[in-house]
Amino acid sequence: MLRAVLIALLGALAATAVSAVTPGTAAPSGAVGGHASDEGQWLMPSRDYAATRYSPLTQITASNARTLHPVWTFSTGVLGGHEGQPLVVGNTMYVVTPWPNVLYAFDLSRDGYPLKWKYRPDVNANALGVACCDSVNRGAFYADGKIVYNLLDGHTVAIDAASGRELWKTQIAALGNGETTTMAPLVVKGKVIVGAAGGEFGIYGWIKALDLESGREVWSARNVGPDAEMRATPGTFKPPYDSGTELGAQSWAGDSWRRGGAPVWGWMAYDPDLDLFYYGTGNAAPYNAEQRLGDNKWSASVLARRPDDGALVWAYQFTPHDNWDFDATGAMVLADLAIAGRTVKALVHFDKNGFAYTLDRTTGKVLLAQPFTQVNWARSIDLASGRPVLEPSQQTGVSKGNIKGICPSLEGGVSPASPPAYSPRTHLFYTSSNNMCMDYAVSRATFLKGTPYVGVNSPYKAGPGGYMGSFLAWDAATGRKVWEDKEPFPNWSGALVTGGDVAFYGTLDGWFKSVDAKTGKVLSKFKVGSGVVSNPMTYVGPDGRQYVAVYAGFGGDWALLAGDTRSDDPTDVRAPADYVKEIARHTSQGGIVWIFGL
Amino acid sequence: MRAVKTVVQGLRRALAARRFLLPSFIVCTALAACGQRSSPPLEAASTLPAIRYESHLAAGDTAPPGGTLRNPHAGDAAVARNGALLFTTMNCDGCHGGDASGWVGPNLGDGRWRYGGADAEVFNSIFYGRPKGMPAFGGTLGSEGVWTLVTYIRTLQAPPDLPTESWQ
Repeated sequence: MLRAVLIALLGALAATAVSAVTPGTAAPSGAVGGHASDEGQWLMPSRDYAATRYSPLTQITASNARTLHPVWTFSTGVLGGHEGQPLVVGNTMYVVTPWPNVLYAFDLSRDGYPLKWKYRPDVNANALGVACCDSVNRGAFYADGKIVYNLLDGHTVAIDAASGRELWKTQIAALGNGETTTMAPLVVKGKVIVGAAGGEFGIYGWIKALDLESGREVWSARNVGPDAEMRATPGTFKPPYDSGTELGAQSWAGDSWRRGGAPVWGWMAYDPDLDLFYYGTGNAAPYNAEQRLGDNKWSASVLARRPDDGALVWAYQFTPHDNWDFDATGAMVLADLAIAGRTVKALVHFDKNGFAYTLDRTTGKVLLAQPFTQVNWARSIDLASGRPVLEPSQQTGVSKGNIKGICPSLEGGVSPASPPAYSPRTHLFYTSSNNMCMDYAVSRATFLKGTPYVGVNSPYKAGPGGYMGSFLAWDAATGRKVWEDKEPFPNWSGALVTGGDVAFYGTLDGWFKSVDAKTGKVLSKFKVGSGVVSNPMTYVGPDGRQYVAVYAGFGGDWALLAGDTRSDDPTDVRAPADYVKEIARHTSQGGIVWIFGL
Repeated sequence: MRAVKTVVQGLRRALAARRFLLPSFIVCTALAACGQRSSPPLEAASTLPAIRYESHLAAGDTAPPGGTLRNPHAGDAAVARNGALLFTTMNCDGCHGGDASGWVGPNLGDGRWRYGGADAEVFNSIFYGRPKGMPAFGGTLGSEGVWTLVTYIRTLQAPPDLPTESWQ
């Protein structure tokens, strides 16, 4: 029965969008409790392998969303930035907190949703000083009866979804190298794919696969460096705009690739037909780009690999010779789009550098790229070469002095922590965005293993227009903005869109909003107690009703940028940031799980 | 003073060459082995280390025995300037912010101290590290380098209106 539903669902989705495939082994076991049809569950971070964050549920619509109200809340007891999203498997909701990475399992079938169990790992507190930007975790993945997620201190764990028992725990990263693990894993074909953050610590970026059953490493590949270490072989690796070998080493001065960053801390997608998974790499290290002349491949890039052996199939660099900290770790969303009269297997990516890219996900070629926010570091993206047409006055480096007024800021046109959503009904993408610019004064960075390897002072200010963020709808087939809801503060939540044509997002000052996916009209809003830097999700409860869940919990970069929003440490008192003096009026830290219903 | 300058220059050279073999006179891994000028002889219980973690509260109102440390450069403005340079060179700014006003690591200029703000306490924090990710710099910097940083950090002034933030 479940299989029949699954096949029908896949058929229906394939007709409209890319196959939004659930994991092959992800049907919930009886032990967990499986009342819900597959479409009522949320089993992986971005809901489907295509990373659409689209749910086909239709009970909540543009006509009734105004009656959405909280039906349940739970304090996680943790103060760090609550990124990521809950999972719902059968009648259980799973929540991973920021460090110390507690995993809660709530029983949705009982009044008040009491815990079935909680799992409290022993996570090294030193990770708090190695993680660049707060103690965040971007969520768990459900597969084959297991909840799989990363601990901040460089471990991946698999927990029995029914009992909460730890099945395996594998060290994947080393704090001493400047590596921490904030991303949500991708489980595909029995492998758990994971990477590490550390672009601010000069790591030698990598991605690796663990065996889902045992936790043992299956393969590991670098994101930069020699072909052999990158798993790039002639004949298999075909980057769309480059030829030759050793691109990942020869595009760096000397051996600067050895500490060149290119971390992995965002979101991954998988196309079962092409058998490719896609992920973005972070900034090149250090921020002083004159210490690493060259394109610095494949930092600030999207890479397509085979899950079985990690073989690199293609790579495209959004920001060659990144000299603005433009990580490309944001989501890669797979959608089949009608572009100029033909259907294209596309990959859509909103980059920190301010451009939204529509690529051919078979080859990595750029089909179109247009700015979705204020951009002045480049004039455009040249489709013939795939390279940005640079604005000479906005290039940075220690010899160039203080370059003023670069847009977007290094917080990104959108934060990679804030993934977009795609609706196959409206054919639109929904994303948060930031309207911020920066000055960039570079100094020579010292490489001292396990300490920051940065070398920049980059004060921010609001971009033109008197607002600092927005939630917008984007047509990736034409590269244009369809509507935009402006927000006073930078917008840091992920997006959700549903079959009822309702989109959801949260704001930094603590509002959770539902909007009409067609027009952007706000349908409901509620103040959730702390700023939202998480990603809303939706599911069907045991009562057959559709619910929407989201975390409140201000943090992430904003724990650093607006240090006056913290109240937990009397020995650390900070002045407000001059460009967001008001934010601490509206929010403080604190993790809360919210569930809304009609 | 010249010694301090040499420390900074030596560090820069070593770091530029990506070697961390520092000039021998600042390699000072055990306090007992440190030069007399930079680290005065331990008091009474001479075999005990000079570490005191948060020793402001003592059971029975009786403090445990321990050595004392004195900053050989306390109040020396020239050393403090070198310390500011060292603060950037050693990537302290990467965690504590460019003006030590807080980032991933706490604000060092608010006059408030998790592990104590006296010279010796700040020394111990830097030399041996602290939980939650403050690395031990004693092995790389030696006591002379750490005292140089302490001298800079102690010059940071807390704003007078620190406890209250008002939007009215």
